[in-house]
Amino acid sequence: MASQDRLSAALIRAITVAPAPQPVTPLLSVDNLSVSYGRQDVVHDVGFELGRGKSLALIGESGSGKSTIARAILRLLPSGATASGAVRFGGDNLLALPERRFRALRGRQIGFVPQDPGNALNPVRTIGAQAMEAAELTDEPNATIRKALILETFAQVGLENPQRVFSSYPHQLSGGMLQRVLIGLAVLPRPALLVADEPTSALDVTIQKRILDLLSKLQHDLNISLLLITHDLAIASERTDSLVVLKNGVVQEAGKTSSVFSLPASAYARKLHADVPALNPDRYARLREAGLRLRSAGEAPKIEVNAVTKSFTVDGKILTAVSDISFAVAPGTTHALVGESGSGKTTTIRLLLGLEEPDAGEISVAGERLSGRSHASLRAVWRHLQLVYQNPFTSLDPTWTVEHLVGEPLDRFKVGTPKERAERVREALANVGLAEHLLNRKPGALSGGQRQRVAIARALVLKPDVIVLDEPTSALDVSVQADIVEVLLSLQAKLGLTYVFVSHDLALVRQLAHTVSVMQRGSIVEHGSVADIFGNPQHPYTATLLESIPAGIANPVNTTQQKPREVFRKEQIA
Amino acid sequence: MSNAYLTYAAKRLGQAVVVILLAYVFTFVVVSILPGDPITSVLRNPQNGFSEEEIAEIIAAQGLDKPIIVQLWHSLSGFLTGDLGMSMRSNRPVSTLIAEVLPSTLILASAGLAVALVLAMLVAYGTRFVPKRYGQGLLRGFPSLFLSVPNFVIGLVLIHLFGFQLGLFRVINPDSFWATLFAAIALGIPISAQIAEVLIANLDKEAEQEYATVARSRGIGQARLFASHLLKPASLPVVTVIALTIGELLGGSLITETVFGRTGIGSLVQRSVSTQDLPVLQAIVSLGAVIFVLVNLVADLLYPLLDPRVKILGGQKRQPTTADETSIGPTRVVTP
Amino acid sequence: MTFVANSTLSRGSRSGWAEALRMPPIVALSFLITATIIAWSIAPQLFTAYSPVVGVPADKLLGPSAEHWFGTDHLGRDLYARVVYGTASSVSSALVAVVIGVLAGGLIGLLAGFLGGWVDVVLARLVDVLLSIPKFLLAVIVVTAIGFETINAAIATGVSAVAIFARVTRAEVIKTRQATFVEAAFLSGGSRWFILWRHILPNASRSVLPLAVLQFGESILVIASLAFLGYGDPPPASDWGLLISIGKDYLKWPWLVYAPAFITIVTVLSVNRISRWLRKTD
Repeated sequence: MASQDRLSAALIRAITVAPAPQPVTPLLSVDNLSVSYGRQDVVHDVGFELGRGKSLALIGESGSGKSTIARAILRLLPSGATASGAVRFGGDNLLALPERRFRALRGRQIGFVPQDPGNALNPVRTIGAQAMEAAELTDEPNATIRKALILETFAQVGLENPQRVFSSYPHQLSGGMLQRVLIGLAVLPRPALLVADEPTSALDVTIQKRILDLLSKLQHDLNISLLLITHDLAIASERTDSLVVLKNGVVQEAGKTSSVFSLPASAYARKLHADVPALNPDRYARLREAGLRLRSAGEAPKIEVNAVTKSFTVDGKILTAVSDISFAVAPGTTHALVGESGSGKTTTIRLLLGLEEPDAGEISVAGERLSGRSHASLRAVWRHLQLVYQNPFTSLDPTWTVEHLVGEPLDRFKVGTPKERAERVREALANVGLAEHLLNRKPGALSGGQRQRVAIARALVLKPDVIVLDEPTSALDVSVQADIVEVLLSLQAKLGLTYVFVSHDLALVRQLAHTVSVMQRGSIVEHGSVADIFGNPQHPYTATLLESIPAGIANPVNTTQQKPREVFRKEQIA
Repeated sequence: MSNAYLTYAAKRLGQAVVVILLAYVFTFVVVSILPGDPITSVLRNPQNGFSEEEIAEIIAAQGLDKPIIVQLWHSLSGFLTGDLGMSMRSNRPVSTLIAEVLPSTLILASAGLAVALVLAMLVAYGTRFVPKRYGQGLLRGFPSLFLSVPNFVIGLVLIHLFGFQLGLFRVINPDSFWATLFAAIALGIPISAQIAEVLIANLDKEAEQEYATVARSRGIGQARLFASHLLKPASLPVVTVIALTIGELLGGSLITETVFGRTGIGSLVQRSVSTQDLPVLQAIVSLGAVIFVLVNLVADLLYPLLDPRVKILGGQKRQPTTADETSIGPTRVVTP
Repeated sequence: MTFVANSTLSRGSRSGWAEALRMPPIVALSFLITATIIAWSIAPQLFTAYSPVVGVPADKLLGPSAEHWFGTDHLGRDLYARVVYGTASSVSSALVAVVIGVLAGGLIGLLAGFLGGWVDVVLARLVDVLLSIPKFLLAVIVVTAIGFETINAAIATGVSAVAIFARVTRAEVIKTRQATFVEAAFLSGGSRWFILWRHILPNASRSVLPLAVLQFGESILVIASLAFLGYGDPPPASDWGLLISIGKDYLKWPWLVYAPAFITIVTVLSVNRISRWLRKTD
């Protein structure tokens, strides 16, 4: 090693003959990197540099090749994938290194934080056993000290009871705790570079922020370079020094975060910027208000939920899913239910649709009470109340064609003649912006965005008064999400629909809802108009949720509106 | 030992007892009620040379003149007290007949299982270490090939090659070491193919899991990844598969014994089938069910203790699922 | 959490058959072999000029040659002709077994999975009982009870396969019943039976088809085993298992075992390969 260092030092001297100001060699430099799976190119001619102690974000939607690049750097590509070009790390070309020499770098010099903490640890081994693998990379010969190092690191990443974590199995910890463990294991051998592949996308929003804070802090304290892979432009611009924007495996734009973010040069980066809800709170303001105007004042609420409680018995224990919740939704408006997983949003929807019977309280939809109904009379309710599911990949029967899927409610409720039904199917498809040639396709031949449009068309085809939207965009890319939201809002403006919109994404809710209820552990902790709740949150939980919206770098267009939160953020980062 | 585990164990045990009893009844129904009257056709077959008095005696002794439900009751209560009745042919207790031949079959079956396990592990674990260009494909092809070969063919090929051509053993002396070994190989190969198929699939699945990638990102090599990460989660579920193959092992013994000319349960079944000796068949089939159910009971009780992923909730074994909000409560069944 | 919105997905509307026909060469070969076997069983006389029953005693126990592809047996009968003529009962009986298994097992599984409650409990116990009796023993006692004939061996094999079909169908029905799209169909106003018939059955049967194909191969093996033990049609029938059974007494002339064994193995291998391919493409 020593002789090699001397050799490379000599080489550098030899090359830089002129006593020019020596350029700082970047820690990681990627040149002309291309990756293909068989004949399919997924990454094409990508290059960037990351300096010591600096941070860089690779941004892109699904299929952009961002995760593939991360895996190529770590040489963890699945078999069958080939990478060409150069990945230089401290002078070595990682792609050309023999496996044995590269393995010495993996873990020791380059740490990895994976996307889904739930699957990233061996389920049949204790956390401690796996942590010892990471601790061995520190070259500390004494096993007792190695264990002490692990416990110390666990404490450092904010795990409360390190000894207990050490002896736990992965399934005994929450997702947030697991991600802390994984970050701890990655930084334990003090790597020079940390590659984090969407480290927070599987976590709840409030935990997301805490994990990102932890990463930023560790990066700063330990002087680690951070390569952050993310689909979220707001997060990226908040956390990194430079950005690389990718689409279909090709770099669209790269540069300093401040410049790319405030003055995106490429069309794609501009669109991406415009589509991120957190950065564009007023994007749909006009459409949203247009919808509201259709509504005549003083009309009775379309939906009334009055002091509803529902609990389940799970393994002998009583679990209260929702407790004493009340809200009302005026016709033609959008009411958002906001909360993290386990907050009771899903149970609330199922109660609204009559799929669950409340233990106490009352629900009425369009003036009709829901409780105590038989299946037959629930059908009458569903005639006016439809649901769009979260995941369009599971909500459409894969053996049916689009035409039959959208026409199914009409056929079941025997609406009109077959000819009229076919006409209404076409109309519904046109309303959600789907071309007619898709009529004979099955869901398997549609993209995620197209499938969700089909699901919306199915909900729409009966011309219901109320549509319940259960996180309708959370499984979709941000640009597809923007299209779907646009479709939903123009339909509301056109047809005067009433929406109940369930989401964990506050930024999205701020864009499209009129009123909002914030849910936490089965209760509504705060409700009111979007302007009130977002402008002046009363409940600490609401405030925490709002804080966790990444703001990116100050957006010149919306400075006035975001000012109070801006100040708050700066304190946090400092 | 948690309370939940004991509840689960008690429930499983109860189920096992019920299944064994029902299996006995089911077998009884199949052999007694189905069309044809094998009993009288055998007894009155002039070749068997029973006199009318003897026939009457046998009918009375077996209770064949009583209504079927009474016969079932007699038979079942005998089974519960360990009395398997008398053979119709040889007039000896069925339990004695079985006890005579059981050891030979047990030796063959356990040797066959051992062969199956060793072979399955060699093949499956081999796929992780034999590179593609050095015949990994051959190992991967092993299960599908040997799941397509009738096991009597394997036996005949072994006899032809090693008995006839190489003279390692002679079919005339079926209990010799070599003959037993080759019988065990013939019995074990199809079963090892089943086990290897599951093992290979599990290993591939585990190797594709995110945790394997993350473990490799900590700098560990292939051998260690296999030994300390993949081996356990891939092999544990095989406990259940092995228990399920017990049935094949018993059925396979029947054919293997015929091919290799061994005396055992298989030859007893053969003889009883050709003479329509129903009490013996009833006893052997029930015994097979008892062994199968007990082995699977043990496997089910053992598994939660081996695999930390399995939680026992409400007296039922469950694989833990990742927390997702959609599964908060049970779906109310909407009845029309 | 984002799903891959694969751009190639938006291409195939006509893809159905065109896509399905694109198969690996080994699968194509498997289909070819299976087709040949089916042709043998439908019209054996088109494939051989020899009689499967009447031999030429002078030509007994000849080795394989251009004249007698698989050689001749102890009565001077052409073995290839015997194999070809034996195909019909070997293959069609396997088909009978699968049909029994699919219909009875499928119905049990469908009812248990869809109705749930006590129906499920009762049927699940019944399936447990069927599973608890070693399959081959079960087939042996059933065939003993109803008589030694190839068709009865097929019925016995079918009965022993009921449990596995019931189990898989039940699991699939339960999985499908809990699928989001089934609840969506309820909300679209569908009745229970409509949903069972139009949503659950088509989806659940997608994984029953590969199993049925696999079970077809397995049934060929079980029926061959029963024939080998002499529980099928007696000679001069020429079921594959029976041919091997006769051949085992003439191991000095090994083709008498190897030729019918080879055909059996190749057939089952092809069928299994097709099953695996079906499972993967779906």
